Amino acid sequence: MKLVVAVIKPFKLNEVKDALQAVGVQGMTLTEVNGFGRQRGHTEVYRGAEYEIDFVPKIRLEVLVEDAQADPVVDAVVSSAATGKIGDGKVWVVPVETVVRVRTGERGEDAL
Amino acid sequence: MVHLLGAVPVPYPSWLNTGDNTWQIAAATFVALQSIPGLMVLYAAIGQKKWAVNMLAMMFAGFSLVLIAWVLWSYKMGFGATSVGGGVRNGVQTQLTGVGWVKHLFENFVGKPGGITSSVGEEGQAVSAANTVIPFHFPTDTLAYFQFVFAAITPLLFAGSVLGRIKFSAWCLLVPLWSTFVYGVDAFVLWGGGYFAQEGALDFSGGFVIHMSAGVSGFVAAWVLGPRLLRDREHTIPNNLILAGVGAGILWLGWNGFNGGDPYYAGTDMAAAVVNTNLATCAGVITWMGMDAWLSKQRKPTFLGGVNGMICGLVGITPCAGWVNGRGAIYVGVIDTAIVWFAWTYLSKVRPFSKVDDAYGVIYTHGIAGLFGGLLLGIFGDPNMIEYGCGHLNSAGQVVNTSAATYAATTKTCTPFSVSGLMYSGSAHQLWEQFRAALFVIFWSALITFILMKLIGLVLGGARYKDEILEIGDLAIHDEEVMPEEPFAERVGGGGPGAGGFELAGIGGSAPPGFEDPPPPVGSGPENTT
Repeated sequence: MKLVVAVIKPFKLNEVKDALQAVGVQGMTLTEVNGFGRQRGHTEVYRGAEYEIDFVPKIRLEVLVEDAQADPVVDAVVSSAATGKIGDGKVWVVPVETVVRVRTGERGEDAL
Repeated sequence: MVHLLGAVPVPYPSWLNTGDNTWQIAAATFVALQSIPGLMVLYAAIGQKKWAVNMLAMMFAGFSLVLIAWVLWSYKMGFGATSVGGGVRNGVQTQLTGVGWVKHLFENFVGKPGGITSSVGEEGQAVSAANTVIPFHFPTDTLAYFQFVFAAITPLLFAGSVLGRIKFSAWCLLVPLWSTFVYGVDAFVLWGGGYFAQEGALDFSGGFVIHMSAGVSGFVAAWVLGPRLLRDREHTIPNNLILAGVGAGILWLGWNGFNGGDPYYAGTDMAAAVVNTNLATCAGVITWMGMDAWLSKQRKPTFLGGVNGMICGLVGITPCAGWVNGRGAIYVGVIDTAIVWFAWTYLSKVRPFSKVDDAYGVIYTHGIAGLFGGLLLGIFGDPNMIEYGCGHLNSAGQVVNTSAATYAATTKTCTPFSVSGLMYSGSAHQLWEQFRAALFVIFWSALITFILMKLIGLVLGGARYKDEILEIGDLAIHDEEVMPEEPFAERVGGGGPGAGGFELAGIGGSAPPGFEDPPPPVGSGPENTT
């Protein structure tokens, strides 16, 4: 099993969710996060004082999949989250040792 | 209740006018809402999240402390009928001609402190040495409550200067003391019929007495306290601009009561004051946002800049509201806001402004805005804007106010009250009177605030918190945070109603008080099987 983690632009979330459902993904977890890559941040001005905000808001998606599903899921995220502009985010895949469904106690791929 | 035999009880005495009384209490309530929640929400929202609860608590406590002091002793200091020294006696200014100005000043300096909690004190007809021409048409309590809400908002304004380091206990001492020794005197000399009122200085609703005094006092208190932590100064980021908008909006429209209540009569000048107040404010908002958009480094209009402009417009028109015409109100809004914008942007880089950590910049948006608003009255005061006129019959048979010009040409039975500024009279006399009063209010507010802060520091072993507390903020001072996360909280120990009472009533589980185990839910539904 694999954990696919994607950091994407917040306004792309609906497209990414639809694309993932289209390739058979049953569930996902998301977190609102802040970060920076090459895009860097922006300036904000409050009452005449200027502040550098290095961290920009992003959505972090986590999806647990069977091994064979990892590549199509990654492809779905990449094609749906891309705008071609700097700051589109990253996707990475990590191996997962164990998954348990809390309600039933099922283990492994049955729990996905 | 006992009535005289045969007498029909009437709900109010003959001197009372229900329209005046109703508007005065309604206006006072608007002004009270400006403090709580208006200013409280605005100030809590435009600061860091870590200080929001502290700001809320300071506002609630400050507001409460002022009213208690107000009815027990300080109302009569500002608005009492008799002054210490006897320059003003039983509501009459005993004009002391032929005495030196020092004697004149000190005999007309502050009212004799005293309570107004008796039935006569509360329900008797209001009297004040400031108003000797037409009697008030409402009871003392109406005037006392109306003036209380002004007294209350004034120290609350400078909470924005001192937050982020003042001890809560120091604040709770400062507010009633400041209200007594600074506000009592400032209010008496300008509004209570004291020295500067007798000399001819004018302040419609508190450009000097409230805003300039609050700005100067906050600045001095901030200087005595020393700056906030470096980290806080570098991160003075608002935590909620929507709530800032809510607070600012209540402040703005509450000002209809602030300036609309000050004629004391629900008449024509009240309506003029309300409209002028809004005109100047709109002009202020547009001016500040425009200056942000065209003159700031970033060349962008900002919302919080609009709020600053709103405050500048409101504060600027406060000393002028019912005494300038609509065009004058727009001039005041634009000029006052532009002056404060430049001061905010450039003067803030110059000593002593660059050396004092006035957290929200109250010295600019209230101090400087109030000063110039009061001076602009000396320029734009329109003699035809009559606060208390003399009635005459027009051709339609209605009683209307007589303008100064008509008055001069026709009847001369009494003098209508209006203000003639430089633009109309060609004389700088009013401007000069305004200037003298401003100097006094600046001097007195600064001096007494300095002394009070030093005294409070001595009594409390320092008026500011230690750095360990300042690093944490709300949690360290109040054990509260502004947006508590319920899932993270687990109840320990007793105290407070809620789950404890629930268990004692025998409805809950068998866990003893102390909450080692949370009680099971009552009538829990079927297991969620999804």
